[in-house]
Amino acid sequence: MTTHDTSATALDALGVLDGIVRHTTVHGIPTLFAPRPGEITAGLMFRVGHADETLPTSGITHLVEHLALYRLGLSDLHYNGATASTYTLFHVTGDEDEVVTYLNSVCAALRDLPMDRLETEKEILRTEAGSRGQGALSQMPLWRYGAQGYGLSSYEEHGTRTLTPDQVRHWAETRFTRDNAVLFLTADRVPDGLDLSLPAGRRFPTPAPSSALPVTPAYLRGEDGHLVFTSVLRRSTAAAVFAEVLGRALFQDLRQKGGYSYSAEADYSPRDADFATLTAYADALPQKQDAAVGGFVDVFARLRAGRIEQAELNSARGKLLKRYDVPDLGAALLPSYALSLLIGHPILTPEQHRAELEAVGVADLREVAREAWDGGLLQVPTRGADWAGLTPAPRFSPSGVSGTLHPSLEDEDVTLIIGEAGVTLSTPGGLVTVRYDGCAAMTTRPDGARGLTGLDGFRVAVEPTLFGDVTAERIAVLDKAVPASAVVPLSARPAEEIPQPRERTAPAPRTPADESKHTEGRTARAAGRVTGHFVLVTALATLWPVLLVTLLVHGIDEPGIGIAAIAGFALEFWLLHAARNLYRTGQPTTPQ
Amino acid sequence: MGESTVGGTRPPVTDLFDAVPGLAPLRSAAWDGDWETTQAFFAKIPSTVDVSFAAALLAGVERTEWFLEKAVKAQPTDPLPRTLLAERYIHLGWRARGHARAEDVPWDRAELFHDWLRKAELLLIEVCAEHPAYVPAWTARLATARGLALGQSEARRRYDRLVEHHPHHIHAQSHLLLQLCPKWGGSWEAAHAFAQQCASTAPDGSHSGVLVAEAHIEHFTELEGAQAAEYLRNESVRDELRRAARSSVLHPEHRRDWYWTGSHSTFALAFSLGGHLEDAARHFTALGDTASESFWRYLPDWKTRFTEYRTAALATL
Repeated sequence: MTTHDTSATALDALGVLDGIVRHTTVHGIPTLFAPRPGEITAGLMFRVGHADETLPTSGITHLVEHLALYRLGLSDLHYNGATASTYTLFHVTGDEDEVVTYLNSVCAALRDLPMDRLETEKEILRTEAGSRGQGALSQMPLWRYGAQGYGLSSYEEHGTRTLTPDQVRHWAETRFTRDNAVLFLTADRVPDGLDLSLPAGRRFPTPAPSSALPVTPAYLRGEDGHLVFTSVLRRSTAAAVFAEVLGRALFQDLRQKGGYSYSAEADYSPRDADFATLTAYADALPQKQDAAVGGFVDVFARLRAGRIEQAELNSARGKLLKRYDVPDLGAALLPSYALSLLIGHPILTPEQHRAELEAVGVADLREVAREAWDGGLLQVPTRGADWAGLTPAPRFSPSGVSGTLHPSLEDEDVTLIIGEAGVTLSTPGGLVTVRYDGCAAMTTRPDGARGLTGLDGFRVAVEPTLFGDVTAERIAVLDKAVPASAVVPLSARPAEEIPQPRERTAPAPRTPADESKHTEGRTARAAGRVTGHFVLVTALATLWPVLLVTLLVHGIDEPGIGIAAIAGFALEFWLLHAARNLYRTGQPTTPQ
Repeated sequence: MGESTVGGTRPPVTDLFDAVPGLAPLRSAAWDGDWETTQAFFAKIPSTVDVSFAAALLAGVERTEWFLEKAVKAQPTDPLPRTLLAERYIHLGWRARGHARAEDVPWDRAELFHDWLRKAELLLIEVCAEHPAYVPAWTARLATARGLALGQSEARRRYDRLVEHHPHHIHAQSHLLLQLCPKWGGSWEAAHAFAQQCASTAPDGSHSGVLVAEAHIEHFTELEGAQAAEYLRNESVRDELRRAARSSVLHPEHRRDWYWTGSHSTFALAFSLGGHLEDAARHFTALGDTASESFWRYLPDWKTRFTEYRTAALATL
């Protein structure tokens, strides 16, 4: 064991936990441990996740996680890895030897990633990506944050096509360091035989949030059957209680009273050290979804008005207090404390947190409700929500660029403009612009097609076959102007996948190739085969990690959190798998 | 006002402030911009159905938004000023829109209409959040739901919230009935079924029977030529109207109230258009020299038609 200055400072914050959780450093990694009988659960967390990537490199953290676990192969260990928005977690449950083997293997792999596996793992991630990000909640980050930072979870992992060994190695060397890590163990001592030496580095702060929403509360139109609300709240005990109150109020109003929804729930998840994401979700049959939106607006209005029954507050508080009502409390609290330590959130002892919970009053909840509504983004299945005082989230760019005009060969009201500063698609509804200096990524095809995505999430597809006079010279303008770091080269398309213009006079029936043509606006990807089953399974697949991460991070209400987490990841894997199959075949699959 | 003889050719008294006894002080207070008197007037109204009636009537008095906006500022937690102001905004919205069919409303007028309704709706969302049992606000929210095209299930949700506090609210039922008509996204089956259900479940002598007449008149206006002429003449329609009238405004238990003029006017119209002059006569008699324009307005030059029908009907007595 060695001591390291940075981690020693970080550990000072843990003094308050004396008697609950012990701490030390292991090869420079701040380590928290507390005993629990039976098998040991250990977690090695790094302060790096999707939100630290860029659109062209997205997936790089996930790739490192996969490569780090590859050598463990098909062992019987209960282990897994998880890449979240702001952290990556390697976790294991087993006896002392198994835990040591796992952690040593992960660190050895991080020191020397098996680069011979890179192309295979990239392919595996591309396959996995066929289903990710298609759930009802998937578009919300993109609309709030754009194609950067916390918005990247709406996007496919572009990096799984283009990342080079050097890029991946550099990411591991700089982000998966001892100074950017925290270890926790449910044990009364640090096991012998650990070799967790990792390169020195620095603790990376969580990324500053970007904004693609000029005005809130805002709304956007989503698919039928789903209502989603997200907001960003200052982290507080009252805010966590509010999410409980909101979830219960929605369930009572939309399901029990109105019968408009089957699911109606809310979740509170820390985003970074200071802010949390509030998510509310309700489903509805298409013929009931107007009422579900109305009921949602009224539930929120009631909470904003502070008409909250003491009983509602008490039962929400009771649920949160119950988390402390477990044996081996210190061990149960480890994941939550480890994450707080990692992202720099103040650590409260159980006593302090209990006292804060007891102090939350109706007036506090009313303030949180107002803050939540004011910063809210509501995705409605109906025409709109302007009637409830919400502003449409921008569907068009505020301005265009000047340049050469390229009329659409399909629609005389649509024109593509390729300029010195960027590209604009002019449509009857408005302009969609991506400026080169604000270009998050540009995909390129050998046939000349270019797909530009702006940092604000707007997207313009330049398909030479669909617009007049898009010559190689004009494409060269794009290639010269867009920074090389934003370019994502894609492989050649078979001739039949290159879009061809429909006849202007007699529109041909839609073909699959039509899906990709002048894709504009803020759709993260072309639509796939979306069936009822698919929507259900992807909704589950999307919601489950939210619950699971909450469980893990706040993993304090469940003594067997390790096993539960592994079961949880297994369920998530199956859901993703089922969703992927549905997406491909349109048919449900049976569990394996 | 007029001392016209029933059956004469003088046009009827159609301003409900004059036609309905007891409402004139509200108009005076509104003309004077006198919030205290207006508030005191509403405070004395015993039923929420009548509050909705008076609120809708007050909304038609010019420039009342000026003093109502002041009242809202002065009494920000009181549901009444906000509800009255919302009713006024709804009225202004409809005036901006006109009474054309949705597809014939010019774009700019539709925008103005929606702007007024959104202003009203934001006030009403607050009132219903703070005072969920305040029925007049839910009633007004049925009007905003329809105008803003918030959908059938949302209108129904609002009605259900209202029914928790008032099961036979004729004003709210009229709003929902319109929503259930095809021109607002419903169907004739739904509209007639709702009218019948309201009529059959209401206590004898209440107003709900008039919904049956309202549904038939709405249905009639959607038909053309011979079909329209035939529709209200149909015996089964006539029999439904008779049953509805007997169980409501012609029932011995029925007591004259503020809705009297409206309900009898509607029955008189439905029977007159169907050529059932003897049935119409009882309602014209009850009306005396008064009339409510709400459904008669569907006829061009309706005041002339009203006096013609009234003369013909009363001649059968």
